[in-house]
Amino acid sequence: MPMIVKFWGVRGSIPVTAQRARVFGGNTPCVEVRCNDDVFVCDAGTGIRELGRDLARRAPAPKAVHLFLSHLHLDHIQGLPFFLAAVPKLTVRIYGLSEEDTSRQRLLCGELGAEFFAQNPAAGRARLEFDHFEDDALNIAGVRVRAIALQHPGGCHGFVFEHDGSKVVYASDVDLGVGAEDARERTASSDLLTLRPVPRPLLHAARGADLLIVDGQYDDAQYRDHMGSGHSSCLTATDLAIQADVKQLALFHHDPDDRDADLEAKVKLCQLRAAKLGADFPIFAAREGVALKL
Amino acid sequence: MAETSSHRRSEATVPTLIVAARRERDVRPHRLQQIEGTGAPRLIPLDREEFVMGRDEAASIRINSARASRRHALIRRHEEGFELLDNESRNGVLLNGLKVFSAVLRDGDVVQVADGVFVYHEG
Repeated sequence: MPMIVKFWGVRGSIPVTAQRARVFGGNTPCVEVRCNDDVFVCDAGTGIRELGRDLARRAPAPKAVHLFLSHLHLDHIQGLPFFLAAVPKLTVRIYGLSEEDTSRQRLLCGELGAEFFAQNPAAGRARLEFDHFEDDALNIAGVRVRAIALQHPGGCHGFVFEHDGSKVVYASDVDLGVGAEDARERTASSDLLTLRPVPRPLLHAARGADLLIVDGQYDDAQYRDHMGSGHSSCLTATDLAIQADVKQLALFHHDPDDRDADLEAKVKLCQLRAAKLGADFPIFAAREGVALKL
Repeated sequence: MAETSSHRRSEATVPTLIVAARRERDVRPHRLQQIEGTGAPRLIPLDREEFVMGRDEAASIRINSARASRRHALIRRHEEGFELLDNESRNGVLLNGLKVFSAVLRDGDVVQVADGVFVYHEG
C-alpha cells in the first residue's frame, strides 16, 4: 500500500490569517502520513484542528492516531486541545523519545488544563495515551519510524517513516548551517556551484527518500540575519536534498511574514540552484490541503 | 435640506449595491478554463457537486487523449471551494506542475490531466 502524505499546516512560528498566505496557508505545522488505515501525524500546530475535523468524517474511522511531536515550542503544540475535542471517539497516542522522557506528557497535560483551554464538558475528547521510542526506532503496523536529532534551540527531532520501500522524512525546525564552520560565508550569494555541508545524521537519514520535508524558512540573506534562531536557508535545504539524492523536496516551516509570491520566488531560487548543480527532482513549497501519494 | 436628502439616499443605496455585488459573487460559480488539449479553449462552470475528468464518453469533463484514464480525476465541491482528486489514474494529475494525490484548489491554479490543461478560477 502506498503512503499518502498530506499537509495540514505549513507555516512557522505563528499562524497567519492574512490574505498574503491564502494560497500556501497560514496554519502552523502539521503533516499527516497515512498508510493503510493507520494515521501518523507530525506535530500539533494549528493545522491539526482541520485534520481532526477531517478524521471525524472519515469512514471507516482510524482506530488510533500516532502523534509525533518534533519539540514542544508553541507553534508545534497549540492545536492539540482543539484536535482532541474534534475526535472524541479516537485514541491519540503520543510518543516520547525514551522511557525516561516524560516532558511531552507533563507539558501536554498542563496545556489541557482549565488555565489554558476551556474544554466543552459535554463534547468529550479523545483518549490520550503515551508511549515512547526504543533506541530511536519504532515499528507500528508495519511502518518503521525513526527519530533523528536536529539542531534547534532547546532541542528538536525529525522523523523518518518507512513502509514497503517508501520513505518520508520530516525535518521541521532545523538549522542546517550549524556545524558548518563557515556557514555565514557558505550562504553568500556567490556560492552557487559548491554544495554546502549539511549535518551528517540527517543526510544519512534522508538518503534516497521519496519525500524530504525540511525547514526552508529563509533565503540566504534572511538566514544571515537570523543565525542561531534554529531555521535554515532554503538553498541549504536544496543542497541537503541533492546530496541525499531524494526524489522530491518540500520546503516547510514558511516564514510568517512571507507572502505567497515570496514562497514562489524561494522555490524558483532553489530550482535554479538544483539545475546549476546538475540535479533534477521536484522542489516545491509545502501547501495546506495538498496530498501526495508515494 | 437637499444635502440631507442626498446623504440619506446614498446611505440607502450604497449598502444595497454592496449586498447585490456580494450576492452576485456568491452565486457566480467557480470555473475551469481549458487552455490546452482537445476541446480548448472552453470555459466550464463548476455548478455541480462533482465532475469526472477523463477519457470516458460519460465523463463530465471529457479529455480525448490516450494518456487519460477513463475516469482519471475528480473535481469535487469542498467547503473552501473545490478539491482536485486523482482517481487512481495511470499517469497522475499535475497541480502547477507537481504530481499530487489531492489538493484544495486556489484561484489561478493550473491543473493538468493528460493533454488537457486547465486554469481554476474562483467565482
